[in-house]
Amino acid sequence: MNPTLARLRRILVMVPWLLDHPGVAVEEVARRFESSPPEILDDLDLLGYCGLPGYGGGDLIEASVSGGQVVVRMAEFFARPLSLSMREGLALLLAARATRDSGVLGNVPAMDRSGDDAGTDGPLITAIAKLEAHLGARAEVPVAMDLRAGGAEHLAALWPAVTDHRVVDLTYQSASKNETTVRQVEPWTIRLVEGAWYLQGYCRSAQDQRSFRLDRVKDLQVTEETAPDPPGDVRPPVYRPALDDPLVVIEVSPQAAWIADHVVLTDRTQNKAGWSRLRFQTTTLDWAARLLLRLGDQARVIAPQELADLRRSHAQSILALYDGPESTNNP
Amino acid sequence: MCIGAFRRDGRLRLALVVDRLERLVNLVIALRETRRPLTVERIHDRVAGYEGERDDAWRRMFERDKADLRDLGIPLRTEKLDRFDETLGYRIAPEDYDLPAVSLHPAELTALAVAVQLAGLGDEAAPALDKLAVDADLVGEHRAIPRLPLELGLDAPNRTALTQALTNRQRVRFDYRKAASAADESVRRSVDPHALLYWRGRWYLRGFDNDRQADRTFRLDRISGTVRPTGQPGSVEIPQQPPNPLDVVPGATQDPIEAVVEAGQAAAWKVARRARGAGQPVNDRDGWRRFVLRTNDVEELIGWLLELGTDVELIGPDDVRAQLVTHLREMMDPA
Repeated sequence: MNPTLARLRRILVMVPWLLDHPGVAVEEVARRFESSPPEILDDLDLLGYCGLPGYGGGDLIEASVSGGQVVVRMAEFFARPLSLSMREGLALLLAARATRDSGVLGNVPAMDRSGDDAGTDGPLITAIAKLEAHLGARAEVPVAMDLRAGGAEHLAALWPAVTDHRVVDLTYQSASKNETTVRQVEPWTIRLVEGAWYLQGYCRSAQDQRSFRLDRVKDLQVTEETAPDPPGDVRPPVYRPALDDPLVVIEVSPQAAWIADHVVLTDRTQNKAGWSRLRFQTTTLDWAARLLLRLGDQARVIAPQELADLRRSHAQSILALYDGPESTNNP
Repeated sequence: MCIGAFRRDGRLRLALVVDRLERLVNLVIALRETRRPLTVERIHDRVAGYEGERDDAWRRMFERDKADLRDLGIPLRTEKLDRFDETLGYRIAPEDYDLPAVSLHPAELTALAVAVQLAGLGDEAAPALDKLAVDADLVGEHRAIPRLPLELGLDAPNRTALTQALTNRQRVRFDYRKAASAADESVRRSVDPHALLYWRGRWYLRGFDNDRQADRTFRLDRISGTVRPTGQPGSVEIPQQPPNPLDVVPGATQDPIEAVVEAGQAAAWKVARRARGAGQPVNDRDGWRRFVLRTNDVEELIGWLLELGTDVELIGPDDVRAQLVTHLREMMDPA
């Protein structure tokens, strides 16, 4: 938004409040509206020139600052804040409903039920009701959300650790190597990405930033040790290929082409039958092989041969389980 | 217009050109203070900042100002002057402008502020919070909440444009990439929007595809560029209830099945979590446990089980077990 409009938005929100609080200190106005005293003085100065063309100046807004105290008068048309636009109102409602549905509500202290009476609705629920009543028919936009995500059962235990910066011992099943390890993690943030919860933080074993999918966390213990403050800007977890990560080439049918969204492609071409040839890097061939197990005959391995062998041997050993004597053992 | 005026600090303020912000505030005041709509000529006379400009120049300024005010959410009405005069004029009705009392309690405002942060919708929703804070006389206090180390990530390109189209009941047009097609190949689609759906971390648009003449589901992350409204507002018939994502999102089937799965020690904890229970020991398999899992998506279940390798076995139902075995056999046969 351009600076002029951003300033207009602030003025329209500030004037009703100033009318209600005559004599408030400039510093307090600046603090409450996240601005600086010189900026506030500039806004007030400008307001003093606004109004309708004067008959003796009587139709101009009065905005005065004396002894550091602000008084605004003659602006009764700005006595109320501007009503919520549809866009802002719906965004607010969406955020509130999503938070309610995600089930993280109980983990955030501010969302806890303020009253101790069991059975009363928390403030988020009552706020949603007020918003819905306020927006009326506009609140009935057809939006359906399903926020269930894997690993949510760890949120309650992790939340205090993330807010207090406490080191966590994670028993974690790695995605790239099918093995379980115990790691010490300095937790930074919890994120819901593409339908899965992630813990991001500094992994002491790897001595680097790592993202852990909560549905792969077997066990977690919050320790007493305080972790250093997290960095200011933590980016969402995205796989960034390293130079020595193996490169694989596969072909997938149209039905399996969704896989392209789950890898970081370096190249993609299409053949006559509609199959796509995908070229991408993977942390380990084992990860790619297990991904390919999912795709069945809708995927072919082009290179390397090692990947094709790995997938075949995985499939063979699983098949052995089903072709064995247990296979008739139905419930 | 002021040629010069004394500032409060006594210095001469040269205001040969009225500041744009000042002009916008004046325009809002003039339109709010009138009962009858103001014609453009009246606006020119009443609002400090337009005079002295050539006719076409000030009309362009006014058009831009009008668009900016509407962008800020200021409800400008365009109306006939009265029953006898067809001339159009503009005004802001106080009942459109003034926020009615919503009267949130401090805990409610905080809860909403937290929700906006979690959802990652600050850019869009923060102005609403500011207004509600003034209404509740809690200005500045809702901003005091610390940055939360938790994020739901609900923002997606074009979600706002599509919400707007849904509320306006308006046809939209966009370029859509097909999953199977080569990277940059997209097809222009014309869609009557019916609902926005969020499922497993993705946003989908459900609507009537005018080219295919059928209801279709589109993924928002496959839309190239921006969604543009094309139809008349109010022309799209929107079904009463948004569809259940399970019915219309590819890969999500409706009827849940109960699958019986046995898992060895290495995988039992994972299966237990999905089954929500510790399971029962299996008689002739040392350390293995048996679980019952409910799922709506058989293919997803099979894929998940295959990733767990030889530490799990799907016992039943028979047809799902057969499906898993066929899946593996087909992979073994050279295509």
